[in-house]
Amino acid sequence: MSLTEVNHWGIVKKQYKFKLKAYAGVFTSMMVVQVIALLLSLGGTGGSSGSSSSGFSLTTNSYSGSMVIAFTMVWAFITAILITTKAYRDDDFTFVTNRLTSNLSNMLFLTIASIIAGTTSLLTGYLLKVIVYLFFDVDLLISSSQTFSTLLIGLVATIMYILLFAALGYLVGVLAQLSKMLIIILVALFIGYPIYASTGTGIRDEPTLFITIGQFYQGESTLLLLVIKIILTVIVLFFTSLIITNRLEVKQ
Amino acid sequence: MILHGDGAKPIYIQIKEWLETEILSGKIKADQKIYSQYQLAEMYNINPATAAKGLNILAEETILYKKRGLGMFVSNEAREIILMKRKNTTLKNLVRDLVGEAKRLEVSEPALIEMIKIANSEEENK
Amino acid sequence: MNVIECNQLSKAYGKFDALNLLSFRIEENKITGLIGRNGAGKTTLLKIIAGYLKKSSGELRVFSEDPFNNLKLSANTIFVDDDMNFPPALTIRQLLQAAGTFYQNWDMDLALRLFDYFEFNPNQKHDNLSKGKRSTFNMIVGLAARCPITIFDEPTTGMDAAVRKDFYRALLKDYLAHPRTIILSSHLLNEMVEILEDILLIKNGEKYFQMSIADVKEFAIGISGQKQIVNEWITGKEILYKKSYTLGNTYVVVRNDLSEAELESAKRKGLEISPVAADDLCIYLTGDTKGGIDDVFDRG
Repeated sequence: MSLTEVNHWGIVKKQYKFKLKAYAGVFTSMMVVQVIALLLSLGGTGGSSGSSSSGFSLTTNSYSGSMVIAFTMVWAFITAILITTKAYRDDDFTFVTNRLTSNLSNMLFLTIASIIAGTTSLLTGYLLKVIVYLFFDVDLLISSSQTFSTLLIGLVATIMYILLFAALGYLVGVLAQLSKMLIIILVALFIGYPIYASTGTGIRDEPTLFITIGQFYQGESTLLLLVIKIILTVIVLFFTSLIITNRLEVKQ
Repeated sequence: MILHGDGAKPIYIQIKEWLETEILSGKIKADQKIYSQYQLAEMYNINPATAAKGLNILAEETILYKKRGLGMFVSNEAREIILMKRKNTTLKNLVRDLVGEAKRLEVSEPALIEMIKIANSEEENK
Repeated sequence: MNVIECNQLSKAYGKFDALNLLSFRIEENKITGLIGRNGAGKTTLLKIIAGYLKKSSGELRVFSEDPFNNLKLSANTIFVDDDMNFPPALTIRQLLQAAGTFYQNWDMDLALRLFDYFEFNPNQKHDNLSKGKRSTFNMIVGLAARCPITIFDEPTTGMDAAVRKDFYRALLKDYLAHPRTIILSSHLLNEMVEILEDILLIKNGEKYFQMSIADVKEFAIGISGQKQIVNEWITGKEILYKKSYTLGNTYVVVRNDLSEAELESAKRKGLEISPVAADDLCIYLTGDTKGGIDDVFDRG
């Protein structure tokens, strides 16, 4: 029987197509998360303010898709961790794979999932405004002006943030599969540190580390620089994950 | 034929003896092609190498001859070789076992010979 | 041509040596049975060959390449065992189609005919199959993939006797039509012994022997009879197994390097000579004691 020759990219594409079908549940959970975020947003997201004087009462509510986007970012983070867990990570090895193609197809999957999730979360934001307009008793609806270019900027930025969280989740998942100890350390870092920093027993009152990191991206005012910053970060995160897992054994 | 996996004889010997019986009974005649190792493997659910081993012993005993690329064929003197062989070894061994068993059962020599005669006439009257 | 070449291969889990200086070769297009007790290292060896596990030391070449994390060998190898991972979102019919996209020689027609024969419901999920059905499904994937290296690790777990028989028959028929290198591991040697060409017997991670199935059957011989006569006769011979029965009878398995004359003398002394079935032999050879389970109860 003659040997089959393979090319890496061909296998990555086959695995990616396979994962789109096999991980279909990921998109179901995304829709559920976005619907929940939408319902929660109906109460107003920006905090309402009311004032009344001489018989007039004025209440302003701001509605935005920001909660949907935030929820979707958390979803991306958890989804990325999920596909590194035992239940998923060795599925590839039933068929044709090595660690490199398995990782690359995961990354391709997460990138495409982020694009889909970014688009739908932005659209959900618009849906929110439509619902408010149609079903709420609103006297005056002021919508921030939207041009096609601001829409595009919003879309790209949303996708980038979601991808950033997916890449971060993937690395966290990879670290967690290395050893149980790392899971504890990671949990301590992500949950313990903000609590520690904000309870006042710490030196400062705020988790400044996270704020600093956040500002590195959020403070960026031009889209191009933001995209470059995030893409570079994503590459570093993915590459680190790849290096860590490349020589791991397959344990079923 | 039914193969006996845990029987006294290895499978390749059973295959070989079955083929000999087929030749003796005239089912496969001189210069006819005999089953290939793959056909035997398929027929008896055995590894083809086991079947080949049986065929090769028959070839060594010149019961079969090889034609390059065509397979194995029954030789002209196949029947005679098999008959000779069976008389000399198989039958002798059977007789030895028979005598041994008769001794254990305390059957005397004349009685044993008498039994053989009866069995022989029964066989002829069939 | 040797498809698998293994020299001084070792694998350690912490301080435990699962494989210890194992050396053997497997030739192309042979069916080899990997035999050994539970914990002998069968699965570890097969997973190293399949590229799942890393060797600790020694050399292993599969088609002249190191199998670990090797994409080319992954495309040419299928490893079937009773806990193959399949994504739960897909039906078993979809899994067959997915397998078809990955393996170049995949025979969908064969897969579907086996599917029908074993009465699978194509819309079922792999996780919901019974243990025997799951093994049967995995077996179908392993056969239809037609990989140059096909590895079955305890493939018949949970199958009933009829399905096991069908499996070995299907394996042999497909092998005859499409010869390839097949390794079968099982502790039930008896049911698959006829379709094997070679046996590789390992014990405590070490190779015990590797020989053709015909040689295994002639490797040893069983002698039984009166204890005294047997004991007299076996002096100076290599004893593999010994068991005492009531009424002073003994059964001894000795290595069959005996001459015709020696066998004749045994017969004349009234000893009974019998062949030793391959699976019994493997149990005797891999047993740690020469007595067996009876000795546990006989101490009292």
